[in-house]
Amino acid sequence: MKSQWGALALAGVLTLAACGSEAPTATAGDGGGGSLVWAVETQPITFNPHQWGQNKARLLVHNQFDNLIARGKNGEFLSWLAKAWEVSKDGLTYTFQLREDVTFHDGEKFDAAAVKANLDQLVSEGYNPAVKAIQLRNFGSAEVTGPYALKVTLKAPDGIFLDFLASPLAGQVSPKSLKNAKDLKAGGVDVVGTGPFILDRFTPGQEVHYKRNPAYNWAPPSAGHQGPAHLSEVTYRFLPEAAVRVGALTSQQVQVIEGVPATEVGLIKSDPALKLETSLNSGSAFSYYFNLSHAPFDDKRVREAFRDAVDVDAVLNSVYQGTAKRAWSIIGQGSPAFYDASLENTFGNNPARANKLLDEAGWDKRDGEGFRVKDGKRLSVRSVSSAPYVRDRRDVLAQAIQASVKQSAGIDFQVKLVDDGTAQKAYKEDQYEVFENSRGDTDAGAALNLILPKGAAINRTHVENAELDKLLAEASATSDPAERKELYAKVQKIVVTDEALLLPVYVPADQIAHGAGVTGVTFEPVSGTPNSAYDVRIGT
Amino acid sequence: MSTLQLTRRRGLAAAGWLGPVVRRLGSGLAVLWAAATAAYVALLFAPGDTVDVLIGDGLDTPERRAQIIAEWGLDRSALEQYGDYLARLLRGDLGHSYILQRGVGDVLSSQIWPTVSLALTAAVFGVVLALVLALATAGRRSRFGDLVGLSELVVVSVPPFLIGILLLAVFSFTLGWFPVSGDRGFVSLVLPAVALGLQISGVLGQVLREGLERALEEPFAVTARSRGITEWRLVIRHALRHALLPAVTLLGWFTGVLLGGAIIIEAVFGRPGLGQVTVSAVTGKDMPVVMAVVLLSALAYVTVSTIVDLAYLAIDPRLRRSR
Repeated sequence: MKSQWGALALAGVLTLAACGSEAPTATAGDGGGGSLVWAVETQPITFNPHQWGQNKARLLVHNQFDNLIARGKNGEFLSWLAKAWEVSKDGLTYTFQLREDVTFHDGEKFDAAAVKANLDQLVSEGYNPAVKAIQLRNFGSAEVTGPYALKVTLKAPDGIFLDFLASPLAGQVSPKSLKNAKDLKAGGVDVVGTGPFILDRFTPGQEVHYKRNPAYNWAPPSAGHQGPAHLSEVTYRFLPEAAVRVGALTSQQVQVIEGVPATEVGLIKSDPALKLETSLNSGSAFSYYFNLSHAPFDDKRVREAFRDAVDVDAVLNSVYQGTAKRAWSIIGQGSPAFYDASLENTFGNNPARANKLLDEAGWDKRDGEGFRVKDGKRLSVRSVSSAPYVRDRRDVLAQAIQASVKQSAGIDFQVKLVDDGTAQKAYKEDQYEVFENSRGDTDAGAALNLILPKGAAINRTHVENAELDKLLAEASATSDPAERKELYAKVQKIVVTDEALLLPVYVPADQIAHGAGVTGVTFEPVSGTPNSAYDVRIGT
Repeated sequence: MSTLQLTRRRGLAAAGWLGPVVRRLGSGLAVLWAAATAAYVALLFAPGDTVDVLIGDGLDTPERRAQIIAEWGLDRSALEQYGDYLARLLRGDLGHSYILQRGVGDVLSSQIWPTVSLALTAAVFGVVLALVLALATAGRRSRFGDLVGLSELVVVSVPPFLIGILLLAVFSFTLGWFPVSGDRGFVSLVLPAVALGLQISGVLGQVLREGLERALEEPFAVTARSRGITEWRLVIRHALRHALLPAVTLLGWFTGVLLGGAIIIEAVFGRPGLGQVTVSAVTGKDMPVVMAVVLLSALAYVTVSTIVDLAYLAIDPRLRRSR
């Protein structure tokens, strides 16, 4: 019996050895080679860049697709598939000169007609209504003025049009795919681009596999090298469990993992064979927004008191073991172009002030459980979150804040994790006092436009402030960085200081861990999310 | 026995079969219809509006709402949508996924085989392990028997999620015998199937052992022993048959454990399959996919329990005559 088991185990080991091609094998040749397995947390809903919407899936897009424009280290716009472009004085006309040596994976030529086909597709009825209504709301028409020359006319000046062209949403898809793909919106092997890798296999629930595009010779100047990618193939494996990802990395079954939970950071840092890289995300900070539409947060004193009652540093330390970056404004430090650093240390962790403000606001009695009471009603505030969207241990964070405000100021903070339908219902019926949110837009202004203006899509604070709306509109209309910075500084002052609309908590970040033999794992300059596998290589 | 008599007997046997078979198939179809309807009603009364879920955090304008309503036919009465739904089901059309932008039949058919192979392997492993352990320990009070009984209790009580992680930590991360993820041949099937099958073996093992022990105390066991049969032969030839009957009844329950467990096991091991599809469909209120999964589960149940019922008929002729 025993020897049979031994034989079985041996057979297993041998089979494994036979499957050993997954181990990193750097082969010699032009630009290196080898195959890499990268474990990621999230399986994308779609591979069509035009339908992209998940920040966690952003790292896949630019394996397969390129943009007209790239972003540089400091957020500047760089040429990519567009060699050069010009903006007319009135900000209404954009003329693009395109590269002439680019081909799609299906052999189609990349030219001005292709770009026009992409833009027209993006604004076509029912294709991506959100893009049509937000990013391309000012899009007028695209006109082919030469084989490689294109003129785009806007209906009104738009400060984020170039940002859109540099975003995954504007990845260039082969016109042939746009016409013939079986499931265009879902993307996949038959929706192709011009990128450094070719998607050749997608196994839902398991992995997506890319092979090198040997013809690739049009990387943006911001890339680490030119020419074809270093790796001959790369596999992204979907492992939603963080502990499993880390285990797969430490046992060398995968070479790179994305999404390292705070609890595992120590383990990875202590292992000399592993490296950890972190990058702050752009967009809005993860914040607790206060609902102004009804008591108790219709009273600014209560909003300030809630903020002052929390010792954010202590909370972050206990929940994330010092790996989280504290936020101070609605815009996170991951968007340095607009972040207003002067707001730092202007509020928070002041229980004495919190208690004084609550006394003044009339919440001066306490009930049997130590919570504050006014007119026989307990000072209760509810946060309703849709469970599928809770990540980064935000449920644990909420519990820590719950304990903190109870202890220091007698506030009853109720945390409700519910299914998406129940959450949407609570938002619709205004049955919440705290709204938790962060957004990963590359242009932080796009996030603010969704959260702050009167009647905006996720204006769940119900804030209505004419000056705020005016500033936001002005900032969206101009493309001058200095002017936008100044306008957004004013916005942040109104929101954070004057209105005390939110409690900024932390700046979302991406973590990548990889084996020491892997180099070239980097982050996108503006979004702060992991880059594609283009510059990654194994060995030296 | 004359030829005439034989023919009549055969005819009688067929007639005895026909009624129960038709009855089972009919009730199976009724259960399927009830499952489809129950799923539909439950989703109808679930909190939140389908249009809201489709919009999510995106732009919420009257125009866009109207567009989504028209696109998905949500403006018709619930009854009309229900009738539509049943009619489409009869045609074998499972609908189009709101979220995945693909046909539901497409989504499921590409994911069904990994789940089936996982469930079958787990079932085989669970049954074999339970049989081996029950036969090895039944009727003998020993340390080993106590240990096995205790392990069975532990395995039944620990969630499959934890079992999966523990198996990975030992056999994949530390020993490196098995790969962590994927659907790459039998090697990658071992750990998930063990994690899923252990629970079955835990329950089945206890039921089997109890049945064996009860059977070994029956008068026929005494009779058999008195005729000088060996204890081993007694267990295999006689007691096991009796012990198997209650165990076969558990088959329906297995189906539930395997389908429910597969959802968790597939996520832990990064395996393709129906589990992940189901979870994302439920959380995203992807109604067509949810309904299809409910129907599929009901179909699995109905098939298994029909087979079990018919198997009883085959095993025990008394059941045929009494109905």
